[in-house]
Order: sequence, then structure tokens, then C-alpha cells
Amino acid sequence: MLEPSVKGRDFASTRQPAALHTQEHNKRRRKSKRQEEEEGMYRGREGQWAFLLHRLSGLAILAYLLLHVISISLFMFGERAYMAVHRTYDLAVFRIGLILIVAGVVYHAFNGLRIIVMDFTGRGVAYQRQMWYAVLAITVVSVLYTASMVVPRILGGY
Amino acid sequence: MIRARTLTDARQQSHSNAELNWWIFMRISGLILVFLILGHIYMTFIQVSESDATFDAVVAKLQNPAWKFYDWLILLLAMLHGVNGARYSIEDYVRSRPNRAWVKGIFYTVCAVIFLLGTVGLFSI
Repeated sequence: MLEPSVKGRDFASTRQPAALHTQEHNKRRRKSKRQEEEEGMYRGREGQWAFLLHRLSGLAILAYLLLHVISISLFMFGERAYMAVHRTYDLAVFRIGLILIVAGVVYHAFNGLRIIVMDFTGRGVAYQRQMWYAVLAITVVSVLYTASMVVPRILGGY
Repeated sequence: MIRARTLTDARQQSHSNAELNWWIFMRISGLILVFLILGHIYMTFIQVSESDATFDAVVAKLQNPAWKFYDWLILLLAMLHGVNGARYSIEDYVRSRPNRAWVKGIFYTVCAVIFLLGTVGLFSI
């Protein structure tokens, strides 16, 4: 929701003629509603981004988990079925995809710890912003470490 | 979904004991999964190459009941944690009640089937 002052400024600045065409009027109203949503989106600052990334990484990890369980389960049907799928996982595209999964998992794991600290200690809420930057730092370092281990294998073809 | 900052808030906001229990479950399972999954990723992706995950390697590793249990614990906790997390998202974004029922029904069914597939796979070796 917009602050009353912002809403007032919005209408005052758009010097509308007395009889504004209805369609045009509706378009303006729609636009201001969208702006309203976008501004609401950033209101939470770091906390809002932490929430959004937590949700997106969580859904991505769940999607990966489901595919991972299905493809690993193929070993029940013998080596041919298993390798038919797993051969493609050696491709660079899939290995880089796995590095992204590591990024999502590390972020989700450490932001989850941040949430637990916030939930069960009073001080956690006071330091949630600093903890979020620590989570981001841990994620970046983990991804760099993982890439340093995986990229040479991709380039070396083993 | 409970939007609480403390356990006391969560207890007041939850409409039912089930919702509060899920809120607590997400924290406990999350804490356990941090260790299980980061360990799993380190052992199977960072330490060894993806091309080492051959059929024989997977079968040999799962001969050990300890790894079987480790993997099944991840499967169980990650499924419950992930499905409940997705339920929060569905309840936030699918606003119409009939659509929500359909989306949830299909989603739960697919996840249950995949969980069974993984469980049968793990213990069939």
C-alpha cells in the first residue's frame, strides 16, 4: 500500500484535464496499482530479499530432489537404464547446473539457520540484516570452492 | 502459513496444533538436513567427479546399510520439508479454493509416488 502522501503526489503531478477519458483514467489507475505492488515488494529491504531467495531456492531444490530421486531410482531397472540417463549428467551443462544447485542449497541451509536464530533468540532479529550478508558471503565462498573443484574436471574431461 | 518471529508468536498465530507442529518440524528437520545434505553434496559431488557416479559405484555404496539409512533419512526429511514448504507457497499464490485443492492433490500424489519409488529403490538392492 502506498503512503497517503505518495498517493497525493502521484495525482497532483499528473495535471489531468477535468474530463479525463474513462479508458485513460482506468489505465492510469492500473498503472498506479502496479507501482503500488512494486513499491510494496521492496519495502522489506534485505528481509524481503532473504525471504524471496529462500522461497525460490527451496522450490528449486525440491524440483531437483524429485528429478534426482527419479533418475537414481533407475538403477532398479539395471545398468543400461541407469547409464542411459546418467551419461548425459557428465555433460558440462549438467555439472554447471549442479554448481547452481550447490549455491541454492548452501543459501537455503544457512538462511534457514538464520531463521532459526531469529525465531528462538531475541538478538537474532536485531542482527538479521548482518546475518543475511554473512549468509550471502558463505554462499559465494562455497560456490567458488565448488567451482574450483568441478571446473577443472569439466575442462579436463574426467 | 505462520508469519512469526518467535515461538510464542507462532503459537498464538497457528490456527491448529497441526500448523504449529509443522512450523516446529520445519526448524528441526532443517537443522538436521543442513548436516545431512551438505555432507551428501561434499561426498558425492565435490570430493569425487560426477563421472565416478557409475552404476557399480552406486550399488557398491548402497550395500552398506549405514549409507542406505543416511540416504533414506535425507529422502524422508527432505520430502516432508520440501512438500510442506511448497504447500506454504501454494497457499500463498493459488487463491481460489477449488484450484488450490486440485493443485495440492496432484502435487501431493506426485511427491508420494516419487517418495515410494525412492524408498523401494533404496531397499531393493
